[in-house]
Amino acid sequence: MQQRRLKVFAASLILLSGFVILVLAMTKKESMRELTPARLLANAETMDNQNVQLVGAISEESTTWDADEFKLTFAVRELEDAETGFNRTETVNVIYNKLKPDNFIDGGNVFVEGTYDAKQNVIVANKVTTKCASKYEEAESAKTTDSSY
Amino acid sequence: MFIDKFVASIQSVAAELGQAAIFLTLFSTLWAIFSLYIGLRGRKPNFIKSGRNAVVATFILISIATGALIFSFVTDDFSMKYVVEVSSAAQPFLYKITALWGRMSGSLLFWLWLLTVGGAIVVWQNRKATENLADYALIPIAVVQLFFVVVVTGWIEGVYNPLDRFPNGEVMVDGQGMNPLLQTPSMAFHPPTLYIGWISLTIPFAYAVAALLSGRIGSDWIHRSRRWMLFSWIVLTIGITLGGNWAYRELGWGGYWAWDPVENASFMPWLLGTAYLHSVMIQEKRNMLKLWNILLITLAFQFTLLGTFITRSGVITSVHAFAQSDIGWYFMGFIIISTAGVIALVVYRWQRLKSANRLESLLSRESAFVLNNWLFVGLTLIILWGTLWPIISEAIQQEKAAVPEAFFNQVVIIPGLLLLFLTGAGPIISWKKITPNNFQRMFKSPLFSGLIGGVIAWIFLSFRARSQAIEASVEAAKVTTPNLLTQVWDFVTFSGQPMPIYSAICVFASVFVLVAIFSEFYRGAKLRAKRQATSFLSGLGLLIQRNKRRYGGYIVHIGIVILYIGIMGSKGYFLLENGKLKLGESMDVGDYQFTMKDSFLEEHDNFIQSGVEFEVRRNGGKPKTMRPSRNYYYTTGQGEQDTIESAIRHNGVNDLYIALGPLPTKPVVGANMLMPIKIDTETVVSLQIYHNPLISVVWIGVAVMVIGGLVAIAEKSTLTPQSQTV
Repeated sequence: MQQRRLKVFAASLILLSGFVILVLAMTKKESMRELTPARLLANAETMDNQNVQLVGAISEESTTWDADEFKLTFAVRELEDAETGFNRTETVNVIYNKLKPDNFIDGGNVFVEGTYDAKQNVIVANKVTTKCASKYEEAESAKTTDSSY
Repeated sequence: MFIDKFVASIQSVAAELGQAAIFLTLFSTLWAIFSLYIGLRGRKPNFIKSGRNAVVATFILISIATGALIFSFVTDDFSMKYVVEVSSAAQPFLYKITALWGRMSGSLLFWLWLLTVGGAIVVWQNRKATENLADYALIPIAVVQLFFVVVVTGWIEGVYNPLDRFPNGEVMVDGQGMNPLLQTPSMAFHPPTLYIGWISLTIPFAYAVAALLSGRIGSDWIHRSRRWMLFSWIVLTIGITLGGNWAYRELGWGGYWAWDPVENASFMPWLLGTAYLHSVMIQEKRNMLKLWNILLITLAFQFTLLGTFITRSGVITSVHAFAQSDIGWYFMGFIIISTAGVIALVVYRWQRLKSANRLESLLSRESAFVLNNWLFVGLTLIILWGTLWPIISEAIQQEKAAVPEAFFNQVVIIPGLLLLFLTGAGPIISWKKITPNNFQRMFKSPLFSGLIGGVIAWIFLSFRARSQAIEASVEAAKVTTPNLLTQVWDFVTFSGQPMPIYSAICVFASVFVLVAIFSEFYRGAKLRAKRQATSFLSGLGLLIQRNKRRYGGYIVHIGIVILYIGIMGSKGYFLLENGKLKLGESMDVGDYQFTMKDSFLEEHDNFIQSGVEFEVRRNGGKPKTMRPSRNYYYTTGQGEQDTIESAIRHNGVNDLYIALGPLPTKPVVGANMLMPIKIDTETVVSLQIYHNPLISVVWIGVAVMVIGGLVAIAEKSTLTPQSQTV
């Protein structure tokens, strides 16, 4: 009985370890650094041709939509309230060959997943996500005295 | 005139009344905790009664506060900060009500109100109870309520009281309005459904704590908490699906699940709750897993709070953005303290938590349940690992990293398929130990049918993949259809694209489960019909009626199979085509031809809708119409914004789905919005067209699961004398 239990325990441990190793291997394979534009630029060389998650704000008046190429291009800048001290003027360009997502507005928070080309300072994105309702949460209600509705 | 004056006079005091009510609940919850504790420890009925009354008083007071806030929304009281931020005069009535949970402060008050409703129901359910387990349960309920009262009062930096007015008596002209994306019926009901599901998990957790406090760790607390757990499970199932359905309809990306941290936060308690619903059966039948059940329900409850930490602390990047403040850390603090409290109680009651029996064989129903629990908990931990990877990676590597959707899709496949198999194996394997007879009688047909189904699926899907690849390019065919050995290697190492092997295993397991479950129904109904000398259908009705819990559970299992098939089809075999068309032009997607016939511009209450009309034919057959569009909102509070309004046409269980790209607009002088221009023959419209196979099967699967849950919950818990024992 005792020996059988030991065997079961050993088998379970091997299976569990195997699965844990696979999860860790997948994590290593899929993990991508989460960077702001300034930090990405600071690490441009090491991040060249790497998958990255870029977090920032959509740079004002940088968005263009090329209907012929089905191509959305825009620049991402540091978030306004970033406490990192990085230069806010630094931006990273993004090319995205899908439709512009909802809530995609100048200054809005965005995160981009894709491959970084350091030479061109551009990310070819496979996923662009805007944050839903972010502006509402951050808006200062007092500003609405200037009613323009 | 009189009504206006009346409304104005109520408006002038409603917020203050609500605030006073919230502050009074600080005392009522504290009194409930103190009085119940003294009463139960000292066996003083008057204190117990007073504690119960305090729980009811908390419900009444928070109802007053919530009512005051709803009144302020309905009457457009723009002297109130929260009303201005989430509502506007032009906002439709339904969304003025749903604005209650539109942002953090209001949603926390709503959460607290639901919690007080739960407390009041527990008091009401046990008004005639002769023993006091429910009174013990009211103590943790009141503690959780107290935590939320503190959060709602506005004392925490960054979270204001939803009933706060602007300083110096300021009154705004209008409000900002709710985010346009949230102004849809499914989003109106998705958050409250999730809240109800999460909050109702507090009650079974409270009963677990009550069992530890009172020392009555028999099946009594299980019986009392089971229906609450089932209720929570049903509501969470609906809530999670409503969210997915909303994303599918509103966000224009053709999908319904993206493993976003907030989605994961709602899914993890569901997984743990499902594990618990299975493991309680072992405690009831075999008096085992007592400690495990207490830990499971504690984890399920703590994971509901963890969701708030994830969304509010700002440590995880999510598509769901919420105001970030210290509140997330308060939640984390509460999670740590309350978990430590449960652990302390577990240590204190250690002797009584020991199992009376042990697993006799690995091939038994008990073992199947244990494996099922390990898989559910394992899945939860994997999802937690991926969700918290930004925090973990920062701690290990001093650098934040994230894992994409692909990570989750790949790592959940094997445990997910194993769970699917157990959905059929669990109900047919015998208790204690499988016998050759049991295997022969119960397993042979399901396994054989499953194998046939799996092989057919494998051949069909491999052939389909090969023909598609050949169609695309002869060269590509060599690359995209690897040999069996490569596919097996890819499967084991999680590499490569979704392949027929996963689908074939999914079909094998699905057929196995369906044959196993339907056989159970068939055998039971036939026997019942014979005994009662009635028809097979009446026998089936009687069978379900007499054992709603068991057969309700089986219906849920059928729903799970349907859901898996839907996920397999919609995630693995969808088609997507990008296009650009002018009026009168056409494009093909699969067997379908899409012709852009006309455009339209329609004015609604608070938005203008601009779109196009498509004529859709399948292989030149009968035409159908689809009208994708974009909405341009007047009152968004955040300037120029439009939303994708996808057109979805159900074709059997498959969907055709069209989402439009940017449309021509002009800025409106003096108004912070875009005005759409009608699309003419020169306008190029960019669009994405999806063919989503089996997507309706996903919603059907969930509906069947909910029906099964409702059947199971209809069975009242009965307390046996044995269950009352310690």
